[in-house]
Amino acid sequence: MGTVTRRQLTDLPGTLGLPLALGLVLVLAFLTFGLPLLDQAVPAQRPVPAGLPYPVGAGVTVVPPPGATLDVTGTRPGEDRGTALFRVGRVRYAIAVQPFDGDLSAAAVRLRQRITGTSGHRVTGTQLAVSTAGGLDGVQGVYSAGGRDGRYAVFVAHGLTIEVTVSGADLDLGRTLPAIDASTRTLDYEAGR
Amino acid sequence: MSDPVRPGATAAALARQPAFWIVLALLAAGAIRIGQITTRFLATFPIATITAIALFALLAVPFWLFVSELDFLEREPAGLRVVAFAWGGLVATTVSIPGSTALENLIAKLGSPHLAADWGAALAGPTVEEIAKTLGVVAIVLIARAQVNSVLDGVVYGALVGLGFQIVEDVVFAIGAVALAGEGDQVQPVITTFLVRGFLAGVWSHTLFGALAGAGIGYLVVTPDRGRGHRVAMAGCAFFGAWASHVLWNSPLLRDGLGNGALALLAVLVVKGLPPLLLILWLVRRAHDQEAAYYVAKLATLRDPALITDGELRVLGSGSRRAAARRHAAASVGRRGRAAVRRLQRAQARLAVELSRAPAEPTEDTAIRHRAEVRTHRAALESLGHPEAVEGVRSWRHTVSTVGTTAVALAVLWVALSALSG
Repeated sequence: MGTVTRRQLTDLPGTLGLPLALGLVLVLAFLTFGLPLLDQAVPAQRPVPAGLPYPVGAGVTVVPPPGATLDVTGTRPGEDRGTALFRVGRVRYAIAVQPFDGDLSAAAVRLRQRITGTSGHRVTGTQLAVSTAGGLDGVQGVYSAGGRDGRYAVFVAHGLTIEVTVSGADLDLGRTLPAIDASTRTLDYEAGR
Repeated sequence: MSDPVRPGATAAALARQPAFWIVLALLAAGAIRIGQITTRFLATFPIATITAIALFALLAVPFWLFVSELDFLEREPAGLRVVAFAWGGLVATTVSIPGSTALENLIAKLGSPHLAADWGAALAGPTVEEIAKTLGVVAIVLIARAQVNSVLDGVVYGALVGLGFQIVEDVVFAIGAVALAGEGDQVQPVITTFLVRGFLAGVWSHTLFGALAGAGIGYLVVTPDRGRGHRVAMAGCAFFGAWASHVLWNSPLLRDGLGNGALALLAVLVVKGLPPLLLILWLVRRAHDQEAAYYVAKLATLRDPALITDGELRVLGSGSRRAAARRHAAASVGRRGRAAVRRLQRAQARLAVELSRAPAEPTEDTAIRHRAEVRTHRAALESLGHPEAVEGVRSWRHTVSTVGTTAVALAVLWVALSALSG
């Protein structure tokens, strides 16, 4: 209070406006570009034990395809929901589990809407019935996304929807789809897990 | 904790500051990025996007008015309030979207997917977002140091940065919910997001965290008589408080609630949100009272009842008493009386700010103008037969109105909680 003193006039940030502003830009640049670069520099893929069920979340498990790795950036296990992202070569194999109170056709419509809601994505071909070794019934279909192709499958059981999406270049998909389809058929629900 | 008020920077003076152009460039870059995101939303979900923008823009209005009124005596310039809001809505959000995602990925990579699932949102979001928002208050200081004269100024700018961030983030979350629902361009997920993030969680969200961090920056710049280390430590504590409040709010603690039903949901909201809310309200009250005491003391030196009476000096330093004086005028002489009291109070506040300017500055003409302005409003009030802007006896109508408003608010809250918990 009182008058403006020399100390006040020469105090930060009055005299250091430009350096402080540049410092501010540097911090923002680090948050916007530096952190993503750092993220890219750290490997995301982890090996997964072959032939063993992997817990996706909410009691749902899957046996990953041989040679698959787990991408931890898309994997978030939880008690009432969860996601798992596997990489099979250059093919992306994602499974998402979440609470759902509708039936299978509603779940399929929802997944297709989400796929077509993404720019450049469209569902092609017809939808077929599919079931897992553990007895989960679902439907599967095909979609295209620009230069990539995709497969989707959806299951509804125990108040959950299990959504599977697979995407990759045509040649890569052709090589890996049999193993991924076999993996999808291992989807299972274990109560209390 | 108040500084002498110095004249605000003119447009020409601002244009000569490199920091001003840097801030302007950052705002432009943020506007382009958020514009791109909004365009994409509009192309995919036009009805939901327009509904979300309209609902959350409406929600911003009472917050904006409340925060702008916090510093009644020395109101922040509208232009700077807009810059603060725009920083939160354009710059801080633009920075936080890639930054928070990258940090959460790093938590998953360096920790585990389980850690990221449980604590990723609680640690990554607050860390990136609180830094980006607090830099908004720093930006205001860099371009208009003369307008940051008290801790309360820091609170106001910090809260407005937080409000801008909150509104844009809520719109993004609402459209995210629409996409996740997979039911096309529906407004139902927008309404649910509005109830949860706007209505139930809105009070203890980014506006609150930003206010706390802003108070620290305010303290840092207006207390040069304290050691630099002490001021930096205090600013650091305020930032940590904002970060910790945000972490607590996002944390998985009590995620499963305290049971089922509206009461349990309310209990979780209160447990997680009330401590920071009370802390910040206490801080705002303290900062407001200190600033009010400073300005009222300046007005008291005038000893001129035509400018301000003893009763008005007592009223001017308190928000509730100022409001009570306006209600008393309305009850005595009608709406024109309320408006006249408000104009008189504003003129007295401007005079107080003028009196607090450093004496070396050539403000004589301005001081005369401000005194004349107060006398004009005094005359207008007197012509209505209400000579003094003071409180009256508390009326039963005001008590009934307060109780009724509280009851309606609680009923709406209960309905919202019941709908969401059911």
